[in-house]
Amino acid sequence: MQSEIRKRLIEAFTNAGQEYLSGQYLAETAGCSRTAIWKHIEELRKEGFLFEAVKKKGYKIVHAPENVTADEISFGLKTEFMGRSIHYEEKVDSTQKIAHRLATDGAVEGTVVVAEEQTLGRGRLDRRWHSPKYTGIWMSIILKPNLPMHKAPQLTLVTAVAVVQAIEDVTGLLPQIKWPNDILIDGKKVTGILTELQADADRINAIIIGIGINVNQKLEDFPEDILHTATSLSVETGQVISRAGLMQAVFARLEKLYLTYLKDGFYPIKLLWEGYALSIGKEIIARTVTGDIAGKALGITEDGVLKIQQEDGEIRHVYSADIIINE
Amino acid sequence: MLKVQEIRELIKLVDQSSIDEFTYESEGSKIKMKKKVQGQQVVVEPVQAVSETPKPAPPSPTTSVIKKEEPKQEVKHEEVQEDTNLHKITSPMVGTFYQSPSPDKDAYVKTGSKVSKDSIVCIVEAMKLFNEIEAEVNGEIIEVLVKDGQLVEYGQPLFLVKSE
Repeated sequence: MQSEIRKRLIEAFTNAGQEYLSGQYLAETAGCSRTAIWKHIEELRKEGFLFEAVKKKGYKIVHAPENVTADEISFGLKTEFMGRSIHYEEKVDSTQKIAHRLATDGAVEGTVVVAEEQTLGRGRLDRRWHSPKYTGIWMSIILKPNLPMHKAPQLTLVTAVAVVQAIEDVTGLLPQIKWPNDILIDGKKVTGILTELQADADRINAIIIGIGINVNQKLEDFPEDILHTATSLSVETGQVISRAGLMQAVFARLEKLYLTYLKDGFYPIKLLWEGYALSIGKEIIARTVTGDIAGKALGITEDGVLKIQQEDGEIRHVYSADIIINE
Repeated sequence: MLKVQEIRELIKLVDQSSIDEFTYESEGSKIKMKKKVQGQQVVVEPVQAVSETPKPAPPSPTTSVIKKEEPKQEVKHEEVQEDTNLHKITSPMVGTFYQSPSPDKDAYVKTGSKVSKDSIVCIVEAMKLFNEIEAEVNGEIIEVLVKDGQLVEYGQPLFLVKSE
């Protein structure tokens, strides 16, 4: 975990923008000696931060490294609680597992577990999620909403909208959502979201939102079996995208939408979600464990449940399925 | 507002007690129960319509599909309700019931499995939110009431457990 001093130091540099900060000022803000500040700056340099130091003026961060440690994520973060507590790991089996443990141990709302690499990243029905080193965002966010349990699934749609908006903010791409929360660019998957609930009887203890975003993979980085169904933001834009910057955008968007959702309910989220929806009005097949439901996707209900009109006119409500779109 | 299973519990308790009549009122909803002593029949009479129910039951054809299966389960459930050692594990939300973590893995539990309070017995999923359901009692699974992949309603019994 990031120390309090480090947190305050990074925050001071974030707030300073293009201004230089003196050693004296930093020491006062962070609540430590100037020697300690100097040591922290040295450590940040080793992590890859570049500082510009000007005599009598002080320090300025001119470059943040391309990792997603707590320091990089905090530098530039403008949220109240989302992503304010970062648990960073170089390599994990699954960030969800760690987040579950932290949530049980009383982690605060908005705590994020992030890793450079996941060895056992997983998706729906335990399907593998390919999460190689330094290329994507593999993270889990802990939320602790005061919500009745049956409303919890709506948060997966809230998250999908937040991630789409963040991708738009950072890259200018226009991703779409495939029900309930897959994010696609030109029909190829760029983000998967899987949410788990921690509850005692009827009370939500924590909601753990796992998000995998393909950011800087090159085409050749994708395994053969997903080569034609997956893409990355870098493949789509031809640029290298700052993962820490994208995470900050996700946190900012998610915090705002989450608070809107808690205050005003699902309706405003539904409108946004439908604005990004890929499948509405199209002929689709909903592949469920017990069989396929084919028909026209009409939209979602006030709860976020998918409505499909079958050929015989009957309208089916779908809670769980893989959606296949007939182009 | 009381939940279906809470009302069931109440009926059971009133049934076993010596009282003939029971009224419960809270936040605009009222439940009144009367016993017909000869027939041992309990009448549940919702006096006032309740504006908000916790059950997010959409009037969908999918629900009607489920409802066809429900009476069958209710019958089983009534038969064994006499036994006070029996605990029902119910679904906390509408969603798809999964017996195992993935299709190619073994079921978490089956009839005869021993469970403890924090044993995971199944997953209920809706919109890619996965809810691992725990047994909440120590005991033995004596019946699995739903099929893998089936849509389950809020409060629907999933398992019967003989508690220790």
